[in-house]
Amino acid sequence: MKKSEWSDREIEELLMQMPKIQDHRDPRDIYQNLSLKKRKMKSWLLPGLAAAAAVLLFFILVPKLMNGSNFSYDQAQEEKSTMNKDMSLADNKIDSTIALDKDNASSTNREFSGTAKKAELMSTNSIKTALYEEEAGEGTVLTYWIPDPQAQILIPVSIVVTGMKDKSWLTLFNENMANLKEEDWGLSDFYPLKLKMKLAIKMKNNNSITVDVPKDHPYGQGSAMETSLINVLNKDISSNSKIKKIRFLTDGVPGIELGNYGKKNEIEIIREKNHAFFFYYPDSSNQPFITPSLDSYNNIKTALEAMKTDQPELGLKSSLGSTLPIHNVSIAGKTLYVTIKDNANLKNDQHTLSSYEALLLTAKDFGLEKVFIKNSSLTNIGPFDLSKENKVPRAPNLRTIQ
Amino acid sequence: MDSVFDELYQKYHHDVFQFLFYMVRNKEHAEDLVQEVYIRVFKSYHRFEGKSSEKTWLFSIARNVAIDFFRKQKGWKERLLEKFDWSTNQVMDEYPIPEEITVQKEEIKWVYKCLEFCTIDQRAVVILRYLQDLSIAETAQALGWTESKVKTTQHRSLKVLKKQMEMFYEKEEFISEKVGVER
Repeated sequence: MKKSEWSDREIEELLMQMPKIQDHRDPRDIYQNLSLKKRKMKSWLLPGLAAAAAVLLFFILVPKLMNGSNFSYDQAQEEKSTMNKDMSLADNKIDSTIALDKDNASSTNREFSGTAKKAELMSTNSIKTALYEEEAGEGTVLTYWIPDPQAQILIPVSIVVTGMKDKSWLTLFNENMANLKEEDWGLSDFYPLKLKMKLAIKMKNNNSITVDVPKDHPYGQGSAMETSLINVLNKDISSNSKIKKIRFLTDGVPGIELGNYGKKNEIEIIREKNHAFFFYYPDSSNQPFITPSLDSYNNIKTALEAMKTDQPELGLKSSLGSTLPIHNVSIAGKTLYVTIKDNANLKNDQHTLSSYEALLLTAKDFGLEKVFIKNSSLTNIGPFDLSKENKVPRAPNLRTIQ
Repeated sequence: MDSVFDELYQKYHHDVFQFLFYMVRNKEHAEDLVQEVYIRVFKSYHRFEGKSSEKTWLFSIARNVAIDFFRKQKGWKERLLEKFDWSTNQVMDEYPIPEEITVQKEEIKWVYKCLEFCTIDQRAVVILRYLQDLSIAETAQALGWTESKVKTTQHRSLKVLKKQMEMFYEKEEFISEKVGVER
């Protein structure tokens, strides 16, 4: 049947002759394979799920690994860092609680715009932290000493109460201690004191104060608490008044029971002086409290020398580092004359301003009234005019309580 | 064993298998695909409305399965492998010709080889019309086409086959002539 021309019919016939191809498998096998295949269809689901889980795990782990060295830090550290992050956002808020000029205190915005107008030299966010004579005006200045969260040091915080001229400082002190926002400031919650303080009016020269604690007062419960109480009372009273003695009462009965001191009827107020001032940074802020050292120094030179290094065991940071490198100081009358190192590169920024305030506060603690930098390359640090003598502050760390 | 499966197997298994075999020209693939047809049938058996006969319905499913198979064959994997595997390029048809065909006469073998040159549609029409003995109307139903489309496709496929058969014949002539000369 071989030929070169094929008709449709022939092709069709050939196609019809095509052999039947049989599936030799047993129908049972086919059916079994069917159910097997059904299962097989699902079997890709499992690796799929595994892959999805792996991808998920990957995304969970990668951000942690990215941190690398931070990985071993404990939870608290991590929390702290996130908190710092949060707080740096909230810093403006914290800064705004720092009162500026008395006149401008109502509006920080106005202060900012005002400084911007004044001079380009002034950095807009340089804020002085202490309270100065001209700002205190007619108001009553109250300084509260608040323990840090570790209860190692006491940090002075000052407020100004205005329009209460007829009330004594102690009345105002008692009234306002409930309004302190210690925890907002990054300090430990210590006020209001769970006791009553009264001026001993009966005493002729008015030089003692009675402190009446309730019977179940918390101050005898641990040495930290009672030391804090004695120190706080001592410092609160010494920095706000000229009173010389504290008389203790327990529920009206003379004497107080303290674990370490035994029974005490009265203590003398010790007026400590000649401290160096350091920076204390609360966890929540990069704005330092300028706070005095525990130790007293023989002269201002050794104090200023000490201020060049940190005191890590107390959590205090150097307040005179590279920002304000002091070469020499001399005293004439009530004025401190400071020479800066020749190669110093002074910057008009917040840190330098804080250093300068620490210098002013230290000078004040040594009984001086003015400070003058002889060879400053700057004309201003923040609001301070360096071309003239500057008065020492009235009180450190001004805060508002409204 | 499932009664539905049993029934379908008895009635149509060999026809469907035959159709799939001639479509993909490989026994193993046909065996896999016939399973796939059953799976699809079970999935959509409840949707079968009886508009067409069961047989044409099964063929239409089988045809879709075969088309999907060809699509998968031309998937990215295969295309990628093709690039690296030069041996497959050299051998066009690597599938072995099954025994049932090899025992047939020369012309049948030729026709089988020529079927390769038809398109999928053309092959489907040829198989349904001549191997399965379906009428034009049944074929149209199975493929979801109009009858005239079946007719033209059938005509074209015959033309392709004729042409290829002639080429085979010429080649054969040439070889036998050569053999003759050598003798």
